[in-house]
Amino acid sequence: MSWVTLTIDGQTIQVEEGKTVLEVARENGIHIPTLCYHPALEPYGACRLCVVEIIRKGWSSLHTACTHPAWDGLEVKTNSPLVRDVRKTIMGLLLSRCPNVPIIQELAAEYGITAPPFPVEDPTENCILCGLCVRVCNDMVQAHVLNFSGRGVKRQVGPPFMEKTRQCIGCGACTSVCPTGAIEIVLEEAGVYQAKPLGPTAAIYVPTLQAVPRVPVIDTDSCIRFRQQDRTNGAIADACGACQMLCEANAIDFDQEDEFLDLDVGAIVVATGFEMWDATKLSQYSYGKSPNIITGLEFERLSNAGGPTGGEILLADGRKPERVAVIHCVGSRDHNAHEYCSRICCMYSLKQAHLVRDKTGAEVYEFYMDMRAFGKGYEEFYERVQEEGVVMVRGRGAEVEVLPSGKLRVTGEDANLGKLVAADVDMVVLSTAIEAPHDASEVASLFGLGRTPDGFFAEAHPKLRPVETNTDGVFLAGCAQGPKDVPDTVAHAGAAASMALALLGKGEVTISPAIAYVDEQFCSACKTCISLCPYTAIGFVEADNVARVNEALCKGCGTCVATCPAGAITARHFTDAQILAQIEGLFRIPVIEIPNTQYPIPDTQLPPTKESNHER
Amino acid sequence: MAELYRADVLVSCLHGRSPELVSALKQELDRRGLAGEVKVVETGCRGFCTMGPVLTIQPNGIFYTDVQLADVPEIVEETLVKGRAVQRLLYKEPATRKVIPNYDAIPFYSKQMRIVLRNCGMIDPQSIDEYIAVGGYEALGKVLSSMTPEQVIAEVQKSGLRGRGGAGFATGRKWEHTRKAAGEVKYVIANGDEGDPGAFMDRALMEGDPYAVLEGLTIGGFAVGTQQGYIYVRDEYPLAVQNLRSAIDRAHEYGLLGSDVLGSGFDFDIRIVRGAGAFVCGESSALMQSLEGKVGEPRAKHVHATDRGLWDRPSCLNNVETWANIPPIMNKGGEWFASIGTERSKGTKAFCLVGKVRNPGLIEVPMGITLREIVDDIGGGPPKGREIKAVQTGGPSGGCIPASMLDLPVDYESLTEAGSMMGSGGMIVMDDRTCMVDIARYFIDFLKDESCGKCSTCREGIKRMLEILTNISAGLGKPGDIEVLESLAKTVQLASLCGLGKSAPNPVLSTLHYFREEYEKHIAEQFCPAGVCRALIAYQVVAEKCKGCGLCIKACPQEGISGTARQPHAIDQVKCIQCGACFEVCRLDAIQVVPRSAVTVGSNGGNGYKPVREVVR
Amino acid sequence: MSDNGKFEPRIVGFVCNWCTYAAADTAGISRLQQPPNVDVVRVMCSGRVDPVFILKAFAEGADGVIVSGCHPPGDCHYNSGNYKTFRRMPLIERLLEQYGIEKGRFHWGWISGAEAPKWAQLTRDFTEQVRNLGPLNWKRMFASKEE
Repeated sequence: MSWVTLTIDGQTIQVEEGKTVLEVARENGIHIPTLCYHPALEPYGACRLCVVEIIRKGWSSLHTACTHPAWDGLEVKTNSPLVRDVRKTIMGLLLSRCPNVPIIQELAAEYGITAPPFPVEDPTENCILCGLCVRVCNDMVQAHVLNFSGRGVKRQVGPPFMEKTRQCIGCGACTSVCPTGAIEIVLEEAGVYQAKPLGPTAAIYVPTLQAVPRVPVIDTDSCIRFRQQDRTNGAIADACGACQMLCEANAIDFDQEDEFLDLDVGAIVVATGFEMWDATKLSQYSYGKSPNIITGLEFERLSNAGGPTGGEILLADGRKPERVAVIHCVGSRDHNAHEYCSRICCMYSLKQAHLVRDKTGAEVYEFYMDMRAFGKGYEEFYERVQEEGVVMVRGRGAEVEVLPSGKLRVTGEDANLGKLVAADVDMVVLSTAIEAPHDASEVASLFGLGRTPDGFFAEAHPKLRPVETNTDGVFLAGCAQGPKDVPDTVAHAGAAASMALALLGKGEVTISPAIAYVDEQFCSACKTCISLCPYTAIGFVEADNVARVNEALCKGCGTCVATCPAGAITARHFTDAQILAQIEGLFRIPVIEIPNTQYPIPDTQLPPTKESNHER
Repeated sequence: MAELYRADVLVSCLHGRSPELVSALKQELDRRGLAGEVKVVETGCRGFCTMGPVLTIQPNGIFYTDVQLADVPEIVEETLVKGRAVQRLLYKEPATRKVIPNYDAIPFYSKQMRIVLRNCGMIDPQSIDEYIAVGGYEALGKVLSSMTPEQVIAEVQKSGLRGRGGAGFATGRKWEHTRKAAGEVKYVIANGDEGDPGAFMDRALMEGDPYAVLEGLTIGGFAVGTQQGYIYVRDEYPLAVQNLRSAIDRAHEYGLLGSDVLGSGFDFDIRIVRGAGAFVCGESSALMQSLEGKVGEPRAKHVHATDRGLWDRPSCLNNVETWANIPPIMNKGGEWFASIGTERSKGTKAFCLVGKVRNPGLIEVPMGITLREIVDDIGGGPPKGREIKAVQTGGPSGGCIPASMLDLPVDYESLTEAGSMMGSGGMIVMDDRTCMVDIARYFIDFLKDESCGKCSTCREGIKRMLEILTNISAGLGKPGDIEVLESLAKTVQLASLCGLGKSAPNPVLSTLHYFREEYEKHIAEQFCPAGVCRALIAYQVVAEKCKGCGLCIKACPQEGISGTARQPHAIDQVKCIQCGACFEVCRLDAIQVVPRSAVTVGSNGGNGYKPVREVVR
Repeated sequence: MSDNGKFEPRIVGFVCNWCTYAAADTAGISRLQQPPNVDVVRVMCSGRVDPVFILKAFAEGADGVIVSGCHPPGDCHYNSGNYKTFRRMPLIERLLEQYGIEKGRFHWGWISGAEAPKWAQLTRDFTEQVRNLGPLNWKRMFASKEE
């Protein structure tokens, strides 16, 4: 890498070779106006606005800074009277072409032009033919949709023959680079491209805005680089890569792939979390039939300052809602969906009601069955929200209907009034249930975890061992174990971490005493047990010609005990003798005789105990 | 080997009536049983356009001009059978009416020096044998057998040859750069995208002497070290493409192209690429884009094409005329070439002399010759005794040189200093009936359509300059227009991307520089002194001079002139469309051009005419 | 026999510690109704169930026996203990038949820790099934033979 020295506006600058004058100027805080320049695209030199006076070997001439290499010994004047004069004429020409484009007006005003100096041909013309869209479409996206046609004054930008083309993937790259806003993406009904207003807005996004470190990810399903095919052979083209080009930290690596890491660990905390229940499963809520019926999570995205509306709560058409309904227990406490209570919905619904009141002043209707404000300060918040004027309707929202006007009608029973009620609102927020991740069963078999009927992972004991599992060294944290709000999750996770650390900190592992041992006197050396042991805990000792159990490995399942043809293996605490005695004992204890034992037993009637001997 | 003939009839040019003339000649020769004795050869352009088709009968060198089909039997009978010249077909000196039987004695030719055009019109362009017979491929043989590439480049440098495409970059230096540029794969390219209106030097060369271009390109390929050459020809020249194609095929057959050229171990091949007719593709970076199959648009050229050109590889691009100069230089040596011309501009240059001269045509003159010699001696001066007003050189983006500067020597520096340029060799002579505003408007109009539209200054600037010029010539000019025009021209000149844009304002700037008062007259006095801008003029009969001959009455397409015989006529200003027919026919100078404001127009007080030209917004 | 002469079967359930025992435990915690006829013997793994245990239970006077472990594949806490059960139980079924014990008196299968209601249902159904088969009285048969 060699270095060059040049002077820009009297400032002597040393830079690495290979940059353009414009890049060097901008890096050093020297402003040069541009319209057709984009750092991710090849310089084009079409708008001519970045002309600067370059003096080289005593020769002064005008060049576009965006295309001129920063050579050693250059003297650059970015704002000399000549440069300003030329730029002024250029802005006059551009303003006469596009008189109603704000950025052109602003730039022209900078050079003292307030009205188009030449006759305006088409006041609606917005395109300055800078070619950014053409370059991004061909060089970056490689969709090859946009190009120039015509020559001279007849030059225009468009798809082949100015007709609609299926080659357009609707990526919107052209609209985003267009300096004058001359390109608009129109969604067609059966278009190739489906807008996702509440989803990520670009193929690169920060999945969790509050996360530390805030690392963005590439959505390879949407990213052009991973999708755009070469026109000639259909292979994935080497398209775009703008992010990589622009990332100053060189942090973007397209070759990164999911990889499997083999780690030796002493403890595992399973914190696989939850998934949102799919609200389309209950069709009465009409989810998906109107863009204004959204889930609680989508509402969070909408009201997020980093969201698509910058935190404003808006309807799909951009209006502010006047009435909003929040329906609790969508998918929770419902025999047609999940029977359990998702625990978090009451409080987040109240918070969202509060946000709507606060941000838009809209009327809010909360359709709830029971208000489970069980946590510290929760009840107080509930009262506060009531005081804010949120209308509480006690009763499950039964149905959401999309009216022809686009309004939404929510009907339900108000149990307090004993009447059916209906509210016509602009927006419905469905407080959908949380459920175990769809792949929980795979995770369960991977770690040998049990699951409770609700699908979440089973803890070892619901009261006494809430973070441990039946597998030694595997702990549960958060919603993997069951629905939890944030404080509970934090507490649970803390407990899991503590358990894991306690296990590791000891430096030694306590093993269960309930393990097998071989009575070597009886061992016939048949080796049957060896192949059966899932832990390879039984080894055959050739010297002694006997099988021997490795006590550290044995988990005490007893399979070998049941198998040993010689009866040489004993499972401690579950010896044959113990179990047989247990069986014997069963039949020697008095049996509770139940009168009228026709099953089921009526709840009202407690059976009187009576000693009897079933056997005799 | 070909049969021997006792006489050759060379028929030029390849356009117009010549093909019929050739078949008539052959028929006549057949009929008289002379087909085995006399050979009819179709040759390329002889350059003497007004006199075409021309016939040269060798070995006598008898030169017939303006030959008609009916003349064929007489020519065969008189000249080919009896060996006498047909007097009425010989060239006559326009001024003296003196008959000049041999072409090298005609001033049109005698003042010229034909190096590049040496074979044009002399040989059959399709025949490699004829090319070899006149010394073709001697240079290539010499180069390949006895010279190193460095020696070739040194010879070209010694010759002082400069690019004939217009900019005049030293050819030897360009070759040297390309040779020294890093990279295994390099290219040599011949630029045959001749787009200037009225210019056909390259066309004549490619049609009339294709082998010269091939030979030059092959020598160049050897010198810069490449195996691949390209000739970029505009598709409007189908005959050039055809002749070059067949020439390449023949050269392959003769081992003059392809692998192991002339057994020297040097491999070289040439491909023809047809351009789609954009003027801007004559610009080097646009030409290379077009060659690559992309839209022909210029790129910013901070790195020379000799380092990164076609497909980002070192490329040596020269005009076809430059390439055709190479074989004579190799044959006769650089010093010989350097002895021709001026100190900084060596050799000769082909021009297309058109406009208001008696003998328009394709000429080749040594550098340093004055414009006056070209216009008066070769061109025969202005017709009908008019005054020369200006000479426009350099094609549409060249400039106008006023008559007062006709003694200017023709070389790169002088022309540039005078605000014009050498260009590829267009030369338009204008007389006093030429309006300089209109001329500027004409060229800017051409450039408006030919600007590629990539950069804003060229696209928008030219459009606005045209707007103002059109307004001025339509009588809608207003004070301050000239200043706006100047500032626009300056911006376009300074800030445009490519050579087309940078030179586009030349017609405006040079006419403004030399003929500013004419612009001012258009605006301030609403008058076009040359009588071209119809909206500004009126025709009037000068009663004292008019003898009432009635010629103008017959000529007027509007039936707008009335009058009785031998009485002064009058022009009806309402009917008059300012076509100038009366002015042209009047032998007594009794019709004069006056400002529109000087005549009363229409009886109803209105001005009674519609602007002839639609005003461009 | 109960007072009203109704036959109350006695059933022994061998259940694995991790799945079925947990289900039974949950069923109890959840107060799921289940007949008191089933007595549970906990083993660490259904693979620990020695055929002797089953025979012993019948010999001691059981009218029915249940063996239940974790669902294959993968649910087994010991990876593959349930597979051993899977292989062993059909053999025991045949053995029991040879001893003259009706098919309906022996049940083996899988109940995971999450399937407490299934456990409750199984005990109810199986109890009813065995009740319909009537008393087995194997012990008495042995006793009489021994006499």
